[in-house]
Amino acid sequence: MRPWVFPLLLLALLEAAARWLVPGSDALAPPSQALLAFGKALSASGDDSVLQATAFTLSSAALGLLLGAALGVTLGLVLGLSRRAAAMGFLSIEVLRPVPSVALIPLAMLVFGFGYRMEISVVAFATFWPLLILTQAAARQVEPQLLEVAHALGLSAWARTTQIVLPAMVPRLFIALRLGVSFALVVAVTVEIAANPSGMGYAMMIAQQSLAPDLMLAWLAWIGVVGFAINALTLRLQRAIAHRMGEPRTGVAP
Amino acid sequence: MSSAVLQSSTRGRATTESVAVLVCLLALWWLASHLQWVSKVFLPTPEATLESLVQGLSTGELAGFTWDTVVRMLLGWLLASAIGTALGALIGASATARTWIAPTLEFLRPLPASAVMPLAISLFGLSGGMVLSVVAFGAMWPVLLATVHGLASVHVRLREVATALQLSRTAFVFKIGLPNALPDILAGMRLSMTVSLIVAVVGEMIASQSGLGQAILLAARSFRASELFAGIVLLGAIGFVSNALLALLEHQFLKWQRH
Amino acid sequence: MSESPLLRFDQVGIHLGGREILSPTSFEVARGEFVCIIGPSGCGKTTLLRAAAGFLQPSGGAALRHGKPITGPSREVAFVFQDYGRALLPWRTVAGNISLALEAAGVPAQQRPDRIAKVLDTVGLGAHATKFPAQLSGGMQQRVQIARCLAQEPELMMMDEPFGALDAMTRESLQDEVSRLVRSTGLTVLFVTHDLEEAIYLSDRVIALRANPTADKPSLAAMVEVKIARPRDQLLTKEHPEFLRLRRELYGFLGHH
Repeated sequence: MRPWVFPLLLLALLEAAARWLVPGSDALAPPSQALLAFGKALSASGDDSVLQATAFTLSSAALGLLLGAALGVTLGLVLGLSRRAAAMGFLSIEVLRPVPSVALIPLAMLVFGFGYRMEISVVAFATFWPLLILTQAAARQVEPQLLEVAHALGLSAWARTTQIVLPAMVPRLFIALRLGVSFALVVAVTVEIAANPSGMGYAMMIAQQSLAPDLMLAWLAWIGVVGFAINALTLRLQRAIAHRMGEPRTGVAP
Repeated sequence: MSSAVLQSSTRGRATTESVAVLVCLLALWWLASHLQWVSKVFLPTPEATLESLVQGLSTGELAGFTWDTVVRMLLGWLLASAIGTALGALIGASATARTWIAPTLEFLRPLPASAVMPLAISLFGLSGGMVLSVVAFGAMWPVLLATVHGLASVHVRLREVATALQLSRTAFVFKIGLPNALPDILAGMRLSMTVSLIVAVVGEMIASQSGLGQAILLAARSFRASELFAGIVLLGAIGFVSNALLALLEHQFLKWQRH
Repeated sequence: MSESPLLRFDQVGIHLGGREILSPTSFEVARGEFVCIIGPSGCGKTTLLRAAAGFLQPSGGAALRHGKPITGPSREVAFVFQDYGRALLPWRTVAGNISLALEAAGVPAQQRPDRIAKVLDTVGLGAHATKFPAQLSGGMQQRVQIARCLAQEPELMMMDEPFGALDAMTRESLQDEVSRLVRSTGLTVLFVTHDLEEAIYLSDRVIALRANPTADKPSLAAMVEVKIARPRDQLLTKEHPEFLRLRRELYGFLGHH
């Protein structure tokens, strides 16, 4: 109950302010009206529907993450397992990594126009880097004692990698994945706000442009709810994996 | 994405091999553009990019855009850091405040910083002030959350020392809480800078404000790929330099940690 | 001086987490006394110390200082924690850490350097004023904590197994240092330890506590005077017949059965 008190207080303040302080404002709408507007949007169908927009954002985020993760984890494994490879790739990574993903939005627009592919490519670029870095770190952080055991048992490099290093990395990989999921969502919505005329971000922009502050607030809240829900789900999954892989319940970094 | 691992990246030095790899990648770019593996409309040659870069900088045009973006980013970041630390200190200093407010903060954490832009447009119109306000608001959260966390993580022993010495609440925050939170706050400020740059660029794109964001958007719309790439290079440079400077700052401030 | 004892526990009982940690216990500590509290783990010696320092309230009975109930911590009562590493500010130098006590007491900035230097000399750390705690050994860090406590100019010093985390040699030298300090300042000390020999060596009186008190076996198991002359010596005193007698008498109270 307690976590709800403060937000409900804020919502009540907003309700009062939007109703009596600045009624008819283009910017602020009472949360009650926002709820109504959202209800209407839910029952709508076609391109404007909530389902369509949410599905678009979630699927482009997911596909972008898949691509970015596939490349990032693979390269991260290579760089994490081989010090030489890491040293070789260092400069190129340091040069390319600082490019903000939003800088690629116009390029993606140029190449793909608007729609799925443009958003997926930007999300893929954005999520590639954190997954690369985190996978590399996860590979490096495998308990040295485990590696000593592998050596003592005379395991081949392949066996050592598949039997010891990879399984040991799994909990940290899932942490990286969880962070990647929330990041992918953020990037996807940002692309929609900046340029792409589809998805939840765009729906929010349209609501603002049509001077419908109630719908705009509703979309903002919905984006928050979806993000929160996805994060909570992936956190559960990450914890379940960590538990399954034998990590202690407490002390697993968030 | 506040993992310190991300920020410190791969600690290493530029070996000759890594330079060779970079040169190879550049060569690949050269080949791909000259052999038209990718259309020149999308992928300009390295020389064309360099030419656009040099030209844009010497005429002052690109330099002007870069300056506009950097100023926007820095101003927003400074505001965000100041407000974020102050608000974070207020919330974090009191265990009661933390209990009631922390869950809301956790809910707000995954929201994209640019998400309040429509609201800001309604309030302030399409202006530089609007962009700055969204930059400051969006970049505030990493610092705020870091400050709250840093204050909350003061070890119970230090709290007891403070109680035994009868330190006032304000004295506790300034002498113990904030110094304890400093590593977290600095990490938060680094993350803040990244957010500042992103939101500044997005804001420029949406609100047609002078800067690199608008420049690359216009370049894309007019199919001027070399100018687009020049702008991307500059944005990368801004990201690189700002991060490097902040890392240096962090290094200075946290000298006591390395003993 | 006929005044109320510095510290008085009047049938003080403490319940924590639903358990009776300390059954109603009474004792007095006079000014200038060095009292050690010993007992097996879980006997409530740290809890008793914290109650005396004002960190927690008794569930029953009254804890009094100068005849007045102890309502909370006070600058007159200094507390030395066992985990010195956690009790020092890692981002401040040794001098800075001492300064914290003076700042808290509102000592003007001009007076601080002299007082810091004085108290650092007392514990023999004058040469290390500009070092950070992480650069010091465990024994030195503990001395910094003690110095900070002395800077408070307290009348009562509580010490919670302060030397428990140190090696034997450092422990012995710090024991002697504390004894010397206490004699020269006239400080009253309440010292918790699980080390019987340390307790007898340092104190004027030893209080032994029992774990899991019952009606016929209350927390307070024994209270004995240590009538061995000062100054004491690590080698000679420990061979003193009175020392050995006390050791035999109190041995059982540490739960060795």
